[in-house]
Amino acid sequence: MDRRAFLRNLGVITGAGAVSMVIGDVSLRAFSKSFLNVSSVNGKVIVILQLSGGNDGLNTIIPIEDSLYYNARPSLRIPKADAIELSNLTGMHPSLLPLKSLFDDGKLAIVQNVGYDSPDRSHFRSTDIWLSGSDSNVIIEDGWVGRYLANVFPEHNNFNTEHPMAIQIGSTQSALLECTCQGTMGISFESPNQFYQLINGSTADNDPPPNTIAGNQLKYIKEVAALSIRFAEIIKEKADSVQNLVTYPDTRLGRQLAIVAELIAGGLETPVYLTSIGGFDTHANQAGGHSNLLSGVAQAVAAFQADLELLRVADRVVLMTFSEFGRRVNQNSSGGTDHGTAAPLFVIGKNVNGGIYGRNPDLSDLDNSGDIKFKYDFRQIYATLLTDQLGMPDDRMPDVLPRSFETLPLISARNFNQNAPSSFHLEQNYPNPFNPITTINYSLRVPLTFILEVYSATGDRVATLVNRYQEAGSYSVQFDGSKYPSGVYFATLESGKVRQTIKMVLLK
Amino acid sequence: MVAKYQLLFAGILFKANFKLPQKYPIQNYKGSQVKSGNNFNKIAEWDEGAARHLLARTLFGYNKQDVEFALSITLDEFVDNYLLADQPEPTPPGLWVNDPLDENTTENTRELIYWWYNNMLTQGYSLRERMVLFWHNHFVSEVTKVSLPQRMYWQNKLFRDFAMGNVRELAKAVTIDPAMLIYLDGTRNRVGAPNENYARELMELFTLGIGNYTEEDIREAARALTGWRVDGLTPYFTESRFDNGFKTIFGQTGNFNYIDVVNIIFQQTAAATYICRGLYHEFMHVAHDEESIAAMSQILSENNFELKPVLSTLLKSVMFHTDEIRGAKIKGPVELMVGAMRQFSVATPDYPYMRTVAAQTKQELFSPPNVSGWDGDKVWINTTTLPARHIFTDAVVNGRRPGGDDLTFQLNLVEYARTFSSSEDAVQLIDDIAKIFLQYPLSENRREYLLNTLLDGAEVYDWSTNDPQAENRLKLFFKALMRLSEYQLS
Repeated sequence: MDRRAFLRNLGVITGAGAVSMVIGDVSLRAFSKSFLNVSSVNGKVIVILQLSGGNDGLNTIIPIEDSLYYNARPSLRIPKADAIELSNLTGMHPSLLPLKSLFDDGKLAIVQNVGYDSPDRSHFRSTDIWLSGSDSNVIIEDGWVGRYLANVFPEHNNFNTEHPMAIQIGSTQSALLECTCQGTMGISFESPNQFYQLINGSTADNDPPPNTIAGNQLKYIKEVAALSIRFAEIIKEKADSVQNLVTYPDTRLGRQLAIVAELIAGGLETPVYLTSIGGFDTHANQAGGHSNLLSGVAQAVAAFQADLELLRVADRVVLMTFSEFGRRVNQNSSGGTDHGTAAPLFVIGKNVNGGIYGRNPDLSDLDNSGDIKFKYDFRQIYATLLTDQLGMPDDRMPDVLPRSFETLPLISARNFNQNAPSSFHLEQNYPNPFNPITTINYSLRVPLTFILEVYSATGDRVATLVNRYQEAGSYSVQFDGSKYPSGVYFATLESGKVRQTIKMVLLK
Repeated sequence: MVAKYQLLFAGILFKANFKLPQKYPIQNYKGSQVKSGNNFNKIAEWDEGAARHLLARTLFGYNKQDVEFALSITLDEFVDNYLLADQPEPTPPGLWVNDPLDENTTENTRELIYWWYNNMLTQGYSLRERMVLFWHNHFVSEVTKVSLPQRMYWQNKLFRDFAMGNVRELAKAVTIDPAMLIYLDGTRNRVGAPNENYARELMELFTLGIGNYTEEDIREAARALTGWRVDGLTPYFTESRFDNGFKTIFGQTGNFNYIDVVNIIFQQTAAATYICRGLYHEFMHVAHDEESIAAMSQILSENNFELKPVLSTLLKSVMFHTDEIRGAKIKGPVELMVGAMRQFSVATPDYPYMRTVAAQTKQELFSPPNVSGWDGDKVWINTTTLPARHIFTDAVVNGRRPGGDDLTFQLNLVEYARTFSSSEDAVQLIDDIAKIFLQYPLSENRREYLLNTLLDGAEVYDWSTNDPQAENRLKLFFKALMRLSEYQLS
């Protein structure tokens, strides 16, 4: 295999991303139109939960031993005795009690002090920054999810996939799912039933509009009309095929997450869902309101996680929360808090490495406005979910985010070989990252002639580990990276038209 | 903020523009006539096309009589003596508007909404209600936080009083408007404990736009805005809560109060630009032509922030009447619904049903989604709201809600068709009716589709409004007409 073919198969040239890695196994279907589905992320899903208005991070994850916190919040502080203790220095708002067992089970990761440089305190601008993934001083016109979908599946759009590329539960549509190159990558609806009823009886319209300002507007409306007709039926079918196995709180967010769980378990292949809850702009009389908001989030999310596990799809799903900013350290005179900056966010799932990432905010080192300085860039979280959960190759990162960002070890079962070919299985190497030696396990379900090779990120073959016939069974082989520089390497096992690839990181 | 995208669809490469949620986005269309605009000369010809466009953009829908009336006078007369003329004030929705103790908020809010729908529908040839809605979406308050619909009524009256008046004076009045004082925490803003909420939104969303002020300007302005509270429906000033010190705002220093703050803000050139960008967005299109906005801003500031001169110039201009922007605005839900009532001259609209649909299509009056208001444009249309609009227009034609309950009115479509001299000529009738319902020229495909729908299998020479099936055929035709994507555009 030459370098170009290798890169193409990895998706570097065609941009097909993780898709093509295992596509050989289904080569017949792969090249027929009907195969254009979005399961290319191997069934992995991210669910984004937007907390609109600016959630008060400091009263969400509490520095229980920090006198500066208690001084800054004379009436709003959560006393140590009331907080749910997570570590000797850190507690959680008592209303988040339903999340405690997730934390104890290692399914809840809390990333501290997430934000960005030169923070903007406008709701609208900061929301745009979070949705687009832009730097503070740059306007990016589309959403990071939209760009991810369009970049990784350049041949797919909502007109040729069987299932929607992304779903927003609600009846407005977020910029998150937009892409400048391909338009909207998502659809939105309140519930599958309502959506189906709305659409019933509609017909599509293919009369092409002219290329004028008015024509562009018209084209957009036609596109939405066509989209809604396209997906209403499949969404209802998938939602109707399973039932939630837990009772969700009867709240807007509870209903949203219940729908997402049904769609995932029902077999919809959509990789990204957006849900949201508002009301976090607590300028006045914050205490009771914020407590209710957090309690609503915790109950709905805990129910969602329990449901996913009972529905046996928890392995595939990671949920991430975000809010456009945290709030000012000092409470204001109205019993509330004003717009702030960095704040903690949650990453939740069965395959999440739970725990607290980073330390409590340093309240003795605030910015000029009395706000918390960020320690983790919010795009590090995006980068982690894109690569380790959705399996996006690292080298695509600059196409989706403004540049490459260092990922965090948030995801334990990384997505590289979920959809393994039936005749063999290549497992993730261990240790990984490694220095200089790592072990690669593989198993053959049938006797097979195959080749197992290691490539650098640029597509140069650096080693042929196995090239022979072997009986069915489980084997292991070692790769010694002592002669090679640090970086990403790919091990690929190929037999006939079938190949599978894992990503390995050599860290010297 | 705007994204341009291309999409391969039906084998043809289109370009489209998607607006992301940001108030009055700055955007230019490359190669567009509008961009080369900045053309404030009066249009040469006041013809049917110009009249339809002007009516569509300034009223809530129009009908055949409206077009005939507009064309019976000159463009100057129609704009200056009708659209921009002062109007008598409508009777308030009820005595409750004066009673701060009336806590029937659910019922009163409902009454207030129906009352406003009715003003929009019955105001004749005035731009006023359109401007009231514009200001409602500009100086945003939400009834839930304001808590008393009485206060929303008085704010609405303020917008009506200043609808086409002086925008700087409106900004002053809004600053101590009880609904606004409560909505953006002005009542909590006092010396020693400033609350910056209103000061920030005043600059960011109401007057200057992001990037035209500093955090320091906000902090200092907040101090100057201290001292105001609300007693029931009345704002009042408490000297002891006022920050009686020197403040420095945009480089000027003094013991400023709220009037000074607004005056200083309007001395910034960004203020006229920001207001004119909003007006351009409202009347022209979301794509912005900064040259034209600069020219509009000049008219606004030269006229001491009086709105009529700039509106009058705009509505008569070649720029406004260019073909390219006809049918280029996506109707808001209220415009769509009230517009349908006016198109059919419905005397007893079903306001409860309209309010239900308004909620489904995301424009509940007095309850904008947040302080930035409704984003409008493409954000109105998504896979949920577009089907809901279709169901509404179906219901209007059927005279029935989708659930089966009758509406408060039943259209008589045969009678309606006979108001057109072409009523017995199916092909001509379709063209004539389309001119009332669509701003967009009918393509050959569309005309044929509508004709086939109207004839429902009959031959074209068989068409007659005397046919026993005529009413049913017209129903099918109007449902199809109003389900066209073109119907969503104005």
